[in-house]
Amino acid sequence: MFKPRVLAPLRALERAFTPTIRSTNALSQSQSVLRTLSASTFPKTTPTPSLSRTLLPFSQVRYASHASQGTANRHSRDPAGKRLGAKRSGGEYVVPGCIIFRQRGSKWFPGENCAMGRDHTIYATQAGYVQYYLDPLKHSERRFIGVVFNKDEKLPHPRNAPSRRKLNMVSVPMAEKVVGQSDLVASVDENGVQVSDVAAVDAQSGPQWRPGYMYRDANWQIGRAAEAAGITAMPYDRRNRWLAWRKREQRAERAAQMKSLKGKKKTSKK
Amino acid sequence: MAHCERASKPLLQCLRNTYSRGIAGAQLQTRAFQSTASVREPEAETTNQPFHKAPDPSLVTSPRLERRLLRQGTAPIGSRRRRAALQDSANIPFEQLPYQCFQEARKVLLADREEKLKEIETMRQRLARQESLSVEEAGGEKAKKSRVTAMQLHLERLKILADINDPLVKRNFEDGEGDMSKPIYRFLADRKWREYRRKILVQRITQMKVIPDVLPHCDPVVDTRMYFGKRQVQAGEFVEARASTSAPKLDIQIFEGGEKLVTIAIVDPDIPNVEANSFDYKTHFLAVNVPISATSTKVDLSKLLEDSQVVLPWLPPVAQKGSPYHRLSVFIMEQKNSRPLNFEAIKAKETSRDVTLRTLQASYHLKAIGAHLFRTQWDDTTLEVMKEIGFNGANVELRRARVEPLPYKRRNPSSFR
Repeated sequence: MFKPRVLAPLRALERAFTPTIRSTNALSQSQSVLRTLSASTFPKTTPTPSLSRTLLPFSQVRYASHASQGTANRHSRDPAGKRLGAKRSGGEYVVPGCIIFRQRGSKWFPGENCAMGRDHTIYATQAGYVQYYLDPLKHSERRFIGVVFNKDEKLPHPRNAPSRRKLNMVSVPMAEKVVGQSDLVASVDENGVQVSDVAAVDAQSGPQWRPGYMYRDANWQIGRAAEAAGITAMPYDRRNRWLAWRKREQRAERAAQMKSLKGKKKTSKK
Repeated sequence: MAHCERASKPLLQCLRNTYSRGIAGAQLQTRAFQSTASVREPEAETTNQPFHKAPDPSLVTSPRLERRLLRQGTAPIGSRRRRAALQDSANIPFEQLPYQCFQEARKVLLADREEKLKEIETMRQRLARQESLSVEEAGGEKAKKSRVTAMQLHLERLKILADINDPLVKRNFEDGEGDMSKPIYRFLADRKWREYRRKILVQRITQMKVIPDVLPHCDPVVDTRMYFGKRQVQAGEFVEARASTSAPKLDIQIFEGGEKLVTIAIVDPDIPNVEANSFDYKTHFLAVNVPISATSTKVDLSKLLEDSQVVLPWLPPVAQKGSPYHRLSVFIMEQKNSRPLNFEAIKAKETSRDVTLRTLQASYHLKAIGAHLFRTQWDDTTLEVMKEIGFNGANVELRRARVEPLPYKRRNPSSFR
């Protein structure tokens, strides 16, 4: 009966005194007032969990609902910085794709040889030197970031001057056009799907050994078999309702047949 | 029942109720007071032929017959709704339509026209008087000139105001029967052109940067259409290399009176130059002293005179494989005071196709009054055309050059926390 009531003020006492005691090193050997007192005055009969449960109504508890209201300190709510701002300053050399400015919203606009990304990031589309500039003739308010080819050029260029461009291309001999038709064959083994090619010359000359399967013609030859046999399909005429009706009837008949078979199977199973 | 016929049904019913009763008997009578050529008359002459054999462009309504007419080269006149209405109308001349309000309004318009005609007459007299004055009497050369120009402008304006409210003028213009030698039709055509076609053209030539790239400035005042063979090319369209092997035909409509001498240049500012890593200019066509007027608008570039007009003959445009598209810009440039240029001198001097149009414009005092644009890129027919014209560089293609990445810059670890 007496123990809990005595313990609470003692804890408060300890909380008040420990820092000063620790700083003065007066009681450096003994751990705390409370422990010495409890050890000396009360025998260790009660286990600690039951003690804390009995202490609950008297100690200060901060519940989640209270904590979630936040602290008075503003900085604890601030998110991490997003590392926005200029990544390349005026006059710096950039290559295509080089990020020049990261921003939220379009604080800066892409000028010459620059483009704006999905999150309004300004990046270079040409190799050159970065310039930050205003172009009142283009827009009275906007600030632009541009890239110039020569370091001494000044943006914005005059409105009627021909645009400065670079080709950025090399001429290579034109690739030879692939003639003949080869056959692409896929086979599945323990290594996964294997796609192999039969040379065009071989594909032309009759059935070939197709990997993992058999001797047969090339796929494209099979595809044109009807053409070789001289089979011609009747061209579709949407006004030929007689043919359409016959086809529809056939389909319906077949569907009915399949349905009846299906039903029979089920009944036989049962 | 066609869509238009359904729409015009109430109108037709109304017309039938009022006029068509006993129209067979009254045909002669109604025709007696016609002063202008009626729409029905040609049909009456060719009654021996059924309508579907020889459809009348002012009466045809069925889409099939319209298409046939278009294939023959005659466009149907007016809207289909109007043509359907005309099929059953009593065909009373426009001025004699028996609507009281309409006739009263016509009277007002006619009175206004009379007034304007009087004003024109007085203005002409005043202008003649002003021109006959000597320089001292008029108060100086400059003052006289400015006054005369102002009077001429006002006179032109009065000529337009006299006719602008005439319903028949409006109808003629809308039917495409306007006489471009008359100021009123030129005015209407100009207005129509500026409403849509000019806006599109200006947008294309500025968005595709032809304007700062080829010429510093151009304010189009003439309507230009371009045809490769029979096919019209809209401004900025891609044209196949095969289609552009022969020179295009131009239809240059000016909206001012009188004849003008123009220079026509077709320039490509996108010739790739791999060595210099830039683009060159190439003049694909240059002709001087081409006469155009409001009534004679057709200019076939392949039929211009070799010995007095064509400085640089047509060079078919081809785009190398992989190169960015080429903009072929057509510029109609007015020669100063419409005076002919010295063809022999120009022919002797301008032998290179690499001269920019800016240089030509400055050296011959030209002023761009019209523009057009088409584009070419590598397509299936380009290789053949390249071989035909002996283009060197047919066997190479352009690929993107590798961009050297920036060197990796190691950050200073001591600055990290």
